[in-house]
Amino acid sequence: MASSAPADDTHFIAYKGSFRLFGLTLDDCIRVFFGGNAVVSIIVLALITYFLFREGSGFFGQNRDNLTVYRHAGLEYVDFIRTQQDDHAALTRYLSDLRVRQFNFYTKDKGLSLAAANAALVGFDDFAGQYGDSVEPIRTLVSDLTEQTTAIKERFTVMEDKKVERTQLLAVGKEAEAAAVRIVPIDFVAELKPILGTLPAYREASADFAKRLTAVLAEAPAMPASELQTRMDRFQQLNAEYMAGFPAVTRNLETWDFNKPVPVTQAFSSFLFGRQWLTASFWQDWYGVIPLVVGSVMVSLVALIIAVPLGVGSAIYINQIATPLEQKFIKPCIEFISAIPSVVLGFFGIAVLGQALRALSQVAWLSWVPGFPYSERLNILTAGCLLALIAVPTIFTLAEDALNNVPRAFKEASFALGATRLQTIIRIIVPASLSGIISAVLLGLGRVIGETMVVLLCAGNRIAIPDFTAGLAVITQPVHTMTGIIAQEMGEVVHGSIHYRALFVVGMLLFFLSLAINYAAQRIVRRYRISIG
Amino acid sequence: MSAAATHPFQTQPSAARRSESAIFWLFRGATYFVLLCGAVVFLNIFVKGSRTVFQTKAPFVNTAFFTESPESLYVFQWQGQKMELGDKEFRAFKEKNPAAANVKAESYVYCAGGIFPCIVGTVLLVVGSMTIALTLGVSAAVYLNEYARDGTFIRFVRLAILNLAGVPSIVFGLFGFGMFVIFFGWNVSLLAGWFTLAFMVLPVVITASEESLKAVPKGFREGSLALGATKWQTIYKNVVPYALPGILTSSILGIARVAGETAPIMFTAAYVVRDKLPWQVDHFSDFFFQGVMALPYHIYVVSSKIPQNEYTERVQYGTAFVFLLIVALIATASIVLRSKLRNRYKW
Repeated sequence: MASSAPADDTHFIAYKGSFRLFGLTLDDCIRVFFGGNAVVSIIVLALITYFLFREGSGFFGQNRDNLTVYRHAGLEYVDFIRTQQDDHAALTRYLSDLRVRQFNFYTKDKGLSLAAANAALVGFDDFAGQYGDSVEPIRTLVSDLTEQTTAIKERFTVMEDKKVERTQLLAVGKEAEAAAVRIVPIDFVAELKPILGTLPAYREASADFAKRLTAVLAEAPAMPASELQTRMDRFQQLNAEYMAGFPAVTRNLETWDFNKPVPVTQAFSSFLFGRQWLTASFWQDWYGVIPLVVGSVMVSLVALIIAVPLGVGSAIYINQIATPLEQKFIKPCIEFISAIPSVVLGFFGIAVLGQALRALSQVAWLSWVPGFPYSERLNILTAGCLLALIAVPTIFTLAEDALNNVPRAFKEASFALGATRLQTIIRIIVPASLSGIISAVLLGLGRVIGETMVVLLCAGNRIAIPDFTAGLAVITQPVHTMTGIIAQEMGEVVHGSIHYRALFVVGMLLFFLSLAINYAAQRIVRRYRISIG
Repeated sequence: MSAAATHPFQTQPSAARRSESAIFWLFRGATYFVLLCGAVVFLNIFVKGSRTVFQTKAPFVNTAFFTESPESLYVFQWQGQKMELGDKEFRAFKEKNPAAANVKAESYVYCAGGIFPCIVGTVLLVVGSMTIALTLGVSAAVYLNEYARDGTFIRFVRLAILNLAGVPSIVFGLFGFGMFVIFFGWNVSLLAGWFTLAFMVLPVVITASEESLKAVPKGFREGSLALGATKWQTIYKNVVPYALPGILTSSILGIARVAGETAPIMFTAAYVVRDKLPWQVDHFSDFFFQGVMALPYHIYVVSSKIPQNEYTERVQYGTAFVFLLIVALIATASIVLRSKLRNRYKW
């Protein structure tokens, strides 16, 4: 720099002291020190990536083993049949929903008393009962097989544990004890023989089931109203489709081979596209991230739908319309809101907002709103409203900056052409700062998707994909989110277990998602900025 | 707004004018709605929390709430009276009245006593992490603003800072857990929490410091260099002192963020409950390797792990009140100081 430039000409050097370290002067050392600190942010980013990979990368291998055991122990085989049973259960639920509708029809439209309505439904109840019982042959088979396969898996797990025990003993040099650990490898062929042997029994049970089902369905009672009859017809149709799927199940069972290797891609795809996050279950653990992603996205969507009009609207108001006094007062107030810690907002949601929204939903004249009334206090809506309050200050501040950067000349030219204030704002100022506003919204999204405490406390924490068939009412259902699951389960998992690693992989996903959002925001600002000449 | 002079030729406002003012009212409504929402949250917690924190008797402030550790609360009927006693009091009461030995009491965890250890823990976490963050952040800002010239490397650094600012706090928590707690073997400790929080707040500090450094006029540096001072002397004597107030006030917002975050300390520094206070350690070095209780985590615990009723509400709202008060004070200080500073330094 300036001090080292005349170094060649010794006459003009005015070095104070002759401190040298690796040939560097004191000034150079200081410079290196500061430079080193500047690199810290790069290092931290690299370390985050490294440690997320370090802890999480083992997941996919473990997940593959997990899936292999699932296949070897015959759990997959049983699940083919179990799916058949579960589908039947879903149809039974359809039937009980139909009963509720009929009951309402009798009591509300016909004005019958409760007892009379129940009496009118006796025929239907009989039908529903028979329908429910028709699955009995399949159910018996499944529960037998479940016990057997669980036993195989259990034995396998015990052996795996013993292997670990032996390696640990060998590691500390206890050879005698290690030799004493008896490991009997599981002979899957022999173990699975009795299970595969049930195929004829299944064929019989399935045929029996189909026969019963057809018999029951033939005697379906007529519905009292045409709207209900349509539902009944739909039910018949669903059943026809359901029974048409039986041969496919049989074919699956016939061609099933426990020795077929689990492809590596399946370890990834079962995580990325898996529809179930099920841990610590007696049957089979699933680590599918879809329910969590859907939960995060739904909550963020609700938050943004509320926060974008409010944030952008107030930014326009403060920047273009408000009096200087209002500006001076409101800006710090909104900054103040951004300082409310998220855990306090989450607590507010549990203590006040959840109940308040539920009470609001039960007000009679609001029942036209989809999803109202609802009974779950903590759901997407509650969390979304609170997250909106978190996103508004972010969107407001950045959008206000963007509006501020529009050159004065734009506005003046517009006024000079005779445009009104509203026209100027909508046609000139907002389009000119649109890139900044969009990036503000994106950064708000990043903030919302990464928010942990509010969703952990207020989103309801039910790990399931919300039921989208409910239409807009889906926002009144509880969900679990990516951030929430990490915060909730990280404290309880065994270090190094597959569950532990799965959480790190979720963290990795979140990390890259936030980087992508950030990148998109910067890209939009740079690409579409109006050159201010 | 519209200059409304009354004169005989004044016409009715046109439709366009009326729709314009309606739309302006819409924007105004949005703004005040946001403020209203913020106010509702604040007021709800202040009103309900002040019932725990303040009292009508002599010192007016519930000192026990600030100076004691959390305890279980026991509620029971005794000789026709409803008694509410903390854990220690309840035991003393049983010793004094042997007949009460078998009294049926309902217990509520964390609902008696106070939140002293949480306050101490939060203060320790904030002080430690801000020390680290300020050291790293200010030095980085000095480099970026005083030494560095534009180039690929500096672009990378700035990109990293921008991206670091967008990383979710829970990911910092995971990172801190993976690196400090597991890999370095520090366990759940103050030190792990300090570094995790410091890294999280680093982008805020760097950006704030750089802005303050930029505000120092070029003439200060040139004058100093012209007098023969070295670069370091210039920075040390003529740049940083003038930027320091700005750096500190802007960093206060960083403090509010550090104090308010729960997710990063959940697995790195915070304990649900701990009997010993941080200074009750055997060796000096143990001080850094102990977990602490912290206010935000305590709020999480009392609002999610125990049911809601009139007894638990007291500690829930009380803790939230104290916490919000601290954060609000920090934020107000930052806003007020900043506006004062803007008026004082003008060059």
